[in-house]
Amino acid sequence: MTTGYAIVLASGELERIMAVSNIAAVAAASEVPVDIFATMEGLEAFDRQTVADRSWEGGPIAEAMLSHGDVEVPLFTESFERAKELGPLSLYACELSMDLMDRTLSDYVDLFDDVLGVSGFLTKAQDRQVVFV
Amino acid sequence: MSAPIEADEVVDARGAACPGPLMDLIGKVRTADAGTVFELQTTDSSSSHDVPEWVEKAGHELLDIVEHDGEGYWSIYVRTA
Repeated sequence: MTTGYAIVLASGELERIMAVSNIAAVAAASEVPVDIFATMEGLEAFDRQTVADRSWEGGPIAEAMLSHGDVEVPLFTESFERAKELGPLSLYACELSMDLMDRTLSDYVDLFDDVLGVSGFLTKAQDRQVVFV
Repeated sequence: MSAPIEADEVVDARGAACPGPLMDLIGKVRTADAGTVFELQTTDSSSSHDVPEWVEKAGHELLDIVEHDGEGYWSIYVRTA
């Protein structure tokens, strides 16, 4: 039995972020703890303007998810928000990435629990299964 | 032929892609009394396989899966533990 997952989300590709949000949501809703460390382009995907414009990078799957017809595909922001209501899911923004881009937490959608450096994340991840995306 | 199962609560997740139906069910099951029977309606074929996996792992009871031919959806019946 896993003690939970620590997911490093470094990719800004929509299909990867959506996959992370779906898996993390089901895990957290099943009482499996999940910590997500959004860094590099993976963090910029949460930028308020990017989310408002739906201007993520991605391939054919990402396009299909954004232009679906009669099938409801919730955005990763919605999946994370719902999962946080149902179970132990925490999101952390990478301090280095924020410094590089001169960002504050208010530049991103309201999903993050805190800002963390690498050491802080590794401390949270020490008894978790680490997944890098 | 067995009698149809009478659900205490119907969760209509038709039209939602995976894992939406499962998340809808989990949200309801979490606040339900033990012994409550749910009917989860889904048009998502992957959910028709995935939801039973979760039900078993979570310790609830899978009562039946009914495919509604011609209507394009499944009913998954679950009794909470």
